[in-house]
Amino acid sequence: MWPLAHGIGSRSDLPVPLWMAQYGGAAALVISFVVLVALWRLPRFEDPDAGRPLPDPLQRAIDAPLTRALLRLLGLAMGAAIVLVAVLGPPNPGTNPAPTWLYVWFWVGLVPASLLLGPVWRALNPLRTLTMAISRVAGDRDAELARPLPAGLGYWPAVAGLLAFVWLELVYQNAALPVTVAWFLLAYGAVNLFAGALYGPAWHDRGDTFEVYSTLVGHLAPLGRRHDGRLVLRNPLRGLSSIEDAPGLVAFVCALLGSTAFDGLTRTQLWTRLTLTGGPLANALIGTAGLLAMVVLVYSVYVAAVRASGRYLPRAQRQQRDWLEARFVPSLLPIAVGYTIAHYFSLLLFQGQAGYILASDPFAHGWNLFGTADWQIGYTVISTATIALVQVAAIVTGHVLGVVVAHDRAVGTFPEKAKTDAQYPLLVVMVTYTTIGIALLVGA
Amino acid sequence: MPALRRWAAPAVLTIATVLTVAACDGDDSSQATGATTTTATTTTTISGSATSGEPTTTTEPATPAIEVRVAGGKVQGGVRREQVRRGDAVVLRVVADVADEVHLHGYDRSADVGPGKPAQISFTADIPGVFEVELEQRKQKLLELEVR
Repeated sequence: MWPLAHGIGSRSDLPVPLWMAQYGGAAALVISFVVLVALWRLPRFEDPDAGRPLPDPLQRAIDAPLTRALLRLLGLAMGAAIVLVAVLGPPNPGTNPAPTWLYVWFWVGLVPASLLLGPVWRALNPLRTLTMAISRVAGDRDAELARPLPAGLGYWPAVAGLLAFVWLELVYQNAALPVTVAWFLLAYGAVNLFAGALYGPAWHDRGDTFEVYSTLVGHLAPLGRRHDGRLVLRNPLRGLSSIEDAPGLVAFVCALLGSTAFDGLTRTQLWTRLTLTGGPLANALIGTAGLLAMVVLVYSVYVAAVRASGRYLPRAQRQQRDWLEARFVPSLLPIAVGYTIAHYFSLLLFQGQAGYILASDPFAHGWNLFGTADWQIGYTVISTATIALVQVAAIVTGHVLGVVVAHDRAVGTFPEKAKTDAQYPLLVVMVTYTTIGIALLVGA
Repeated sequence: MPALRRWAAPAVLTIATVLTVAACDGDDSSQATGATTTTATTTTTISGSATSGEPTTTTEPATPAIEVRVAGGKVQGGVRREQVRRGDAVVLRVVADVADEVHLHGYDRSADVGPGKPAQISFTADIPGVFEVELEQRKQKLLELEVR
């Protein structure tokens, strides 16, 4: 991720050892093979209401209005802090913590937080809080006067927001400057508050990129909420069956996967050679083209595979292409999460430290608010061998979970005699994604 | 036969993918060997003759000098990746015909450079990872330093 290297994320991972990559790839293949032919013939993870309920007092504490209000206040404080520091703090990402907070703590940290606890950003999101406040001030407490979201809109605004954000992060050469962070936050906030005022808090379910991201990843959390509101501990794979389908869902997940793959690509020496001679403008164009190409590639390969499987559907169902594409999205999500962990785990671990080191003196006044101002980033808290292991394990685990979910969905979709054949196209796609993922780690 | 059919396709798929993976890996290994290694210790162990009995395992403190030349604002010979070992004392020298600042990221070391004024950064490579060296004003990448 060299664009971010101008200030934050100035270290990238060593190439993963070849033997580790080969073992990882082989394990992924063998497990795929076993899942395909030797496992269950009826869906197991399609019941979103399964799970063990949390004890009553715990549920009451989590759902208490006070808890919710405190979380909303915390979210507002976080939002206010990052905007203030980005706007008023020093102009250099080496001393201003706002870029690290946005790209590392928030964007990367959202994944482990949601993976453990579920849709956390929904509870914290200051933009949702402000939208709710606006509805209330306007005398429309329950947002009954808000317009319904247009049916065709779906997740598309979130896809647009995602592409804008990853372009900023991975292509724009001044990504790490606090002024970039400030403009992005203000623009993102303005668009979402405007849309929130128009459509009510429901906008944030669909159009607010970060909330959509957190909620999607949150479906893989062991902590879930049943339709009756009960909090349960559950097999994370069951949570995937409650993803709300709407137009743009496939594109959103493919944009996530494609952008992470693009980030891996930019760390390879191949990419270094490609962007060596170009000026900033040429490299921005190459970067934009590369990012879009990766997203389109991931998307079209997935859609082609699902369409190929569609041949095995009963004749009456064959026209429902969108339905079929959305049905297998849950199998892509673990793969996307695995990619994300593989690529950003060390960034969170190392550059994440800058978030609290710089927080002690956010306005460059010589403060030492938290006593951390003189700390240095500890680059040896974890060995490079461990990092490589986590990277390969994340990709392989994502792949295995993806294959398991795809199998489960397939046996619930296709007629008995076509159940195995119908899985080949998607399996090929997943093996391809995983091979690319591992190759990018080796070529880093 | 259905049982055979059931297993045949996945088997073919597996073999095909193993071959693909192997092919990809082949590219990478050739790339890795192509990269110049400046660690002073690498040559000594290989050349140990059969008669000497014991292989030379003792390594003197290595001081690889890495030099990058910039002409007309471009890196001569292209941007390469240099590998050093963790703990090595490294001397990085940049000769350039433009005035700028050489910055080694991660280690956060800088030195001014200009026509007739080469930049020299000496440091101990104690942080593992891949780091960029660049001309800070021009945002021109000079070198990738791989510390392992």
